[in-house]
Amino acid sequence: MSGEARQAVQAVLVRELLTVARSRAYLGLVAGVSLVAAGVLAAGGGVEVGYVPAAIDLLLPFELLVPAVAVALGYRTITDDVDRGELDVLETYPVPPWAYVLGVYAGRAIALVGALGVPLALAGLYLSTQSPPDPTTLATHSGVDSPVLFVRFVGLTLLYGLVALALTLAVSALAWSRRTAIVLAILLLGSVAVGIDLLLLRGFGAGWIADQQLTTALAASPASAYRGLVFETVLYVAFDSESGYAAPAASVAGLLAWLVAGLGLTVVGVTRRN
Amino acid sequence: MTDTHHHAVGDEPGTDGGQSEEAVLVADEVSHAYGDLSVLEEVSVSLSAGEVVALVGPNGSGKTTLLRVLAGLLTPTAGGVSYRGPERNRERGYLPQQPAFRPGFSARETLAFYTSLVGGDPDELLDRVGLGEAGDRTVEALSGGMTRLLGIAQATVGNPPVLLFDEPGSGLDPGMRRQTWAVVGERAAAGAAVLLSTHDTLLAEQFADRVLLLGDGQLQADGSPAALTDEYDRDSLQSVFEAAVGGESGPVGSMGEST
Repeated sequence: MSGEARQAVQAVLVRELLTVARSRAYLGLVAGVSLVAAGVLAAGGGVEVGYVPAAIDLLLPFELLVPAVAVALGYRTITDDVDRGELDVLETYPVPPWAYVLGVYAGRAIALVGALGVPLALAGLYLSTQSPPDPTTLATHSGVDSPVLFVRFVGLTLLYGLVALALTLAVSALAWSRRTAIVLAILLLGSVAVGIDLLLLRGFGAGWIADQQLTTALAASPASAYRGLVFETVLYVAFDSESGYAAPAASVAGLLAWLVAGLGLTVVGVTRRN
Repeated sequence: MTDTHHHAVGDEPGTDGGQSEEAVLVADEVSHAYGDLSVLEEVSVSLSAGEVVALVGPNGSGKTTLLRVLAGLLTPTAGGVSYRGPERNRERGYLPQQPAFRPGFSARETLAFYTSLVGGDPDELLDRVGLGEAGDRTVEALSGGMTRLLGIAQATVGNPPVLLFDEPGSGLDPGMRRQTWAVVGERAAAGAAVLLSTHDTLLAEQFADRVLLLGDGQLQADGSPAALTDEYDRDSLQSVFEAAVGGESGPVGSMGEST
């Protein structure tokens, strides 16, 4: 990366961070995620038992919440720059489309890590203050418990969020108006959270996907890949069988492929507008 | 593109002290169409360092499209545009017809973002357009005229050798409009080639070195205000404009993007 391009990435990144940091909506988003996490943990009872039970309680709601946070943070970012004519103006500066996209993504990614990471970190801190698991509850929630497992859960949740954010930016770059950006973002949210899973299950039911291919095929869905990795690396301690819930390598590859595809499409969208 | 000579002015526009006959931007028989709708037809324009060129034409005559083609924001469907000025990290400054900025940032912060890309001092830029006292205002708190002045400041960030302004005086009161022309004159005196679209033929006649009359996507006339009034045997540029392109009273053309 040339010095000029690095400067461009940094300038755009700082602008995105300042934009988010000055937004009351962002504080609302963090508060909302914190409330959902606290509510889920309180209702599920996992927070009183240990790290793995807490991850079990959080997994399903976060499959939907994480892409929703990504959409909230990113769906208008590029569309608004286009509407204001700022993308045109930026084209007269030494800012290549990829540098602009990288700066926007990095800035929003830091914001996303804050929005998801802070509530989860607070949950982890609270868990660390609780007494060791009650053996009578382990039967329903856990086996061996450890904060490392919860840290893994947080890391995988953030990775899932970063993938959803890349796809959201692609929507923002490809949408031709703010209204279409909203519609496409909602469609994206549905597709990432449940749509691709339903397609894969339909394929399985129709016999297009063989039994032995199912776990690998599920890695093609961001939500399933995330869920599978959480099962394989965090929740396995709570089950008799320690592996086989998903294909970890394929799941990681699937998530990375969606990430790269999202950013690639975003660059294409921005370039097409230029 | 046949002309290959290169112009070399100093690092700051204007180190050659004023107008030069050497072209820094050349459009050669540029045409542009949106689908079947032809917007520009074989327009050839050359801009020289240190000159102020006014682009005048009725609404819908293709002014905005021509400016966007010259700025490199639109690819012409035929012909080409070549930059022949000095090597710079920013060759062309551009003021959109309706400049807008990211909300939540002050005028100074907005310019600081752009100067972080190519260098420059935000406060100096604010002073340049008469917004020195409004640097701390958020862009939402700026009036329409002040926003346009901020847009002009943005266009001059990095001292690009070519400046392209789309109706910089639109919606401004007479004082601000004169301020705009003063900035334009100052940039030209510093060596920049300035092309601006305008409906104000009085100020164009007073301040522009050259006037391009655009009608129906074609260049109808190109010359100094005095040369055009002589050629058309009229007593004002407005009168020349009415004779050459039909003035403002006719139906709105369908050639341009928004003007």
